Amino acid sequence: MEYASIDREIHIDAPPEVVFEVISTPEHVREWWSVSTDFEPAPGSTSELVWADGDNPRAHVEQLSVVVTDPPRVFSFRWTNPPGESAVEGNSNLVTFELEPAGTGTLLRFSETGFRERGWEAAAIEERYLSHSEGWDRFVPIIKTYAERLEAA
Amino acid sequence: MTTAVDDELWSAIGDPTRRRMLDLMLHGDGTATTLSEQLPVTRQAVAKHLGVLDRVGLVQATAAGREKRYRIDQAQFARAVAQLNDVGRTWDARLGRIKQISEAIASRRTTGG
Repeated sequence: MEYASIDREIHIDAPPEVVFEVISTPEHVREWWSVSTDFEPAPGSTSELVWADGDNPRAHVEQLSVVVTDPPRVFSFRWTNPPGESAVEGNSNLVTFELEPAGTGTLLRFSETGFRERGWEAAAIEERYLSHSEGWDRFVPIIKTYAERLEAA
Repeated sequence: MTTAVDDELWSAIGDPTRRRMLDLMLHGDGTATTLSEQLPVTRQAVAKHLGVLDRVGLVQATAAGREKRYRIDQAQFARAVAQLNDVGRTWDARLGRIKQISEAIASRRTTGG
């Protein structure tokens, strides 16, 4: 079965070991994803992804589960599964980073799959929220629309 | 627009054969026969895929002799592409930051030790 996916390739002028560290350790993930999280870089480890907004430290929360850690080649995780449910195919998106040495640097291949089962709503909401981040004035109406759409479905 | 419709739209463009068919039809109308000649799948399979694309409004059919002739519905196609692009763009930004951070670390390690 095929699923809608986002696929990207990017060359990074740093060795795979460094890139792997950046994509798989919470210290760095917090920086490039602008999120609070505290997973262990080990298969099965779970954590929340928490976005603060103004006075609300938990304005937006998602679940994350590490799937594969194979340094410095593969790091993958599932996310956006409902709280209390284990992340499996069908209730979450799978993000995979594959690293390959390229000269003195790294070819980083990225993919995110799972939209087909889950629809694009969760990702689109996150995109709107994180790319704008203007606070509750903007966020609340989006949540409202989302909830209404879910109800109408 | 309901969630169900969006899910179907996403599902329709999620299939690589259907994406190739859309690519071909961006260059001109197609029928199940003409499209199957350019793809490694049977005419029957192409006809089924066209049915899926038709249901979500990505193509429009007109009668043309024995066969239906399909063309891309530009508005619906643009909408589907925009949805994928929105999500893709957030990852482009994140990947850009991953690149920056990695390269900064690598250059610190080679120059500063």
